[in-house]
Amino acid sequence: MGMEASTEGAPDLTPQTVTKLASADDPRALSRSLREQPVHKVGDMFHLVTRRSDVEDALRRTAVFSWGAVGMNLGNIRPLIPLQVDPPKHVKYRRILDPLFAPKKMALLEEEVVALVKELVDAFAPKGSCDFHEEFAVPLPCRVFLRLMGLPLEDLDLFLALKDDIIRPPGVTLEEQAPYREKAGRAVYSYFERVLAERKAHPTDDMLAQIMQGEVDGERLTDEEVLDICFLFIIAGLDTVTDSLDCIFAYLAQNPEHRRQLVADEAVIPSAVEELLRWESPVPAVPRATTEDIEIGGCPIKAGQQVMLLLASANTDDADHPGVDEVDLERNPNPHLAFGGGVHRCLGSHLARVELRVAVREFHRHIPEYELAPGTVLEYTTGLRSLHHLPLAFPSAG
Amino acid sequence: MRIVLDAELCQGHGRCYSLAPDLFDSDDVGHCVLLVDAVPDGREADARSGAENCPEHALTLED
Ligand code: HEM
Ligand code: SF4
Repeated sequence: MGMEASTEGAPDLTPQTVTKLASADDPRALSRSLREQPVHKVGDMFHLVTRRSDVEDALRRTAVFSWGAVGMNLGNIRPLIPLQVDPPKHVKYRRILDPLFAPKKMALLEEEVVALVKELVDAFAPKGSCDFHEEFAVPLPCRVFLRLMGLPLEDLDLFLALKDDIIRPPGVTLEEQAPYREKAGRAVYSYFERVLAERKAHPTDDMLAQIMQGEVDGERLTDEEVLDICFLFIIAGLDTVTDSLDCIFAYLAQNPEHRRQLVADEAVIPSAVEELLRWESPVPAVPRATTEDIEIGGCPIKAGQQVMLLLASANTDDADHPGVDEVDLERNPNPHLAFGGGVHRCLGSHLARVELRVAVREFHRHIPEYELAPGTVLEYTTGLRSLHHLPLAFPSAG
Repeated sequence: MRIVLDAELCQGHGRCYSLAPDLFDSDDVGHCVLLVDAVPDGREADARSGAENCPEHALTLED
């Protein structure tokens, strides 16, 4: 007989525990205590999976751990593509989308990203201070996305407002937040409906055009399918990069010896980005729903239950990977799961890597020395690990 | 030493070919393509690095 999943030994477990993996000053400590058990049951329906091997296993077994069955509503009226679609259909969408986000394609964007980063840095470098979150981490991914999709820069503020109302709506409970999400969701659909109509009249040559030409089983994607992809891009591709930038720069501001290491040797930057993604795990958990009765680490879980796979905890699990409880910017190997794993592996991971590597490299070329502005107390956000503000101070340039 | 790729497990994380681009390449969807079968002398460490950084355990080394 398997052991009962319980909350024993775990710190005040509530449904909010997952959100604390994002907002805690030291999420690693919370992860460590959670890993004392493979599974924690929270409430009637909800399970946390804490250990690396179990998380990997669940990410791979998509028939048993389904995204489609999660039933999470983010203001969308149909499943988001490809996230909320299970195999085998999922594979068909990824076959269209993967080539558009392949590393060799993303590498071509590097120069454009460099130019954008310089523009943002030049705007605050002379001041000797900035709110890194507002002035860099928020605009960068959003502007890259608009370029990629061939959308006008004037729409920046609209996009930011919509993604915030979906990801971080006012209110605490899901019920309080639902109306904001629904309203923003309707606005996202109608925005892209208008864009698609324009594109049909005046075809373009950007990523959106390529998606519109995508085919599944010899049939063009329907307008609805294209909308469901665009909706997901807004949720998945903007905030996550902002979060990662906030986490990485907050870390480097507070750990000057590590910052100087990558300033002295830019060749360290790619592995430093991977390591800080692992350490911070800006997307701390991903949901799945069980489609049959199963057991994880000896704990029975019934069909139809929601399971949170704790990527943050898996990323600091030292069972098979000793030494992962500290930061090593040159860690090798570092097979982290910050972009998830299995078939839902982050579609935008290669784009995100270009943005993060370029941002770290170019920012430090301009501003190698900086610190948190005096008196700053960092407050990380719940859900996805980000900051509302990241005030930095540095010697003013010029 | 030989490199073996389990294409079923590969999900295109791209760690292998960004760390050792002369041993691993990517196809048009970003999944791994082996450039060598037998690891050239002196390149064992890079082969191992590619394999050990794969989050999906898609790459194994055989003596
Ligand atoms: C550093 C930044 C990013 C992080 C940490 C991140 C993280 C993740 C994670 C953990 C997943 C897996 C979700 C799951 O298994 O349930 C995911 C999926 C996804 N991400 Fe990202 N992401 C980032 C940037 C981006 C960007 C820039 C895009 C661009 C469009 C993007 C698009 C997507 C999409 C479309 C999926 C769904 C893939 C599928 O279901 O097949 N992400 N991301
Ligand atoms: S690291 Fe692994 S999953 Fe990624 S491309 Fe290489 S073999 Fe495939």
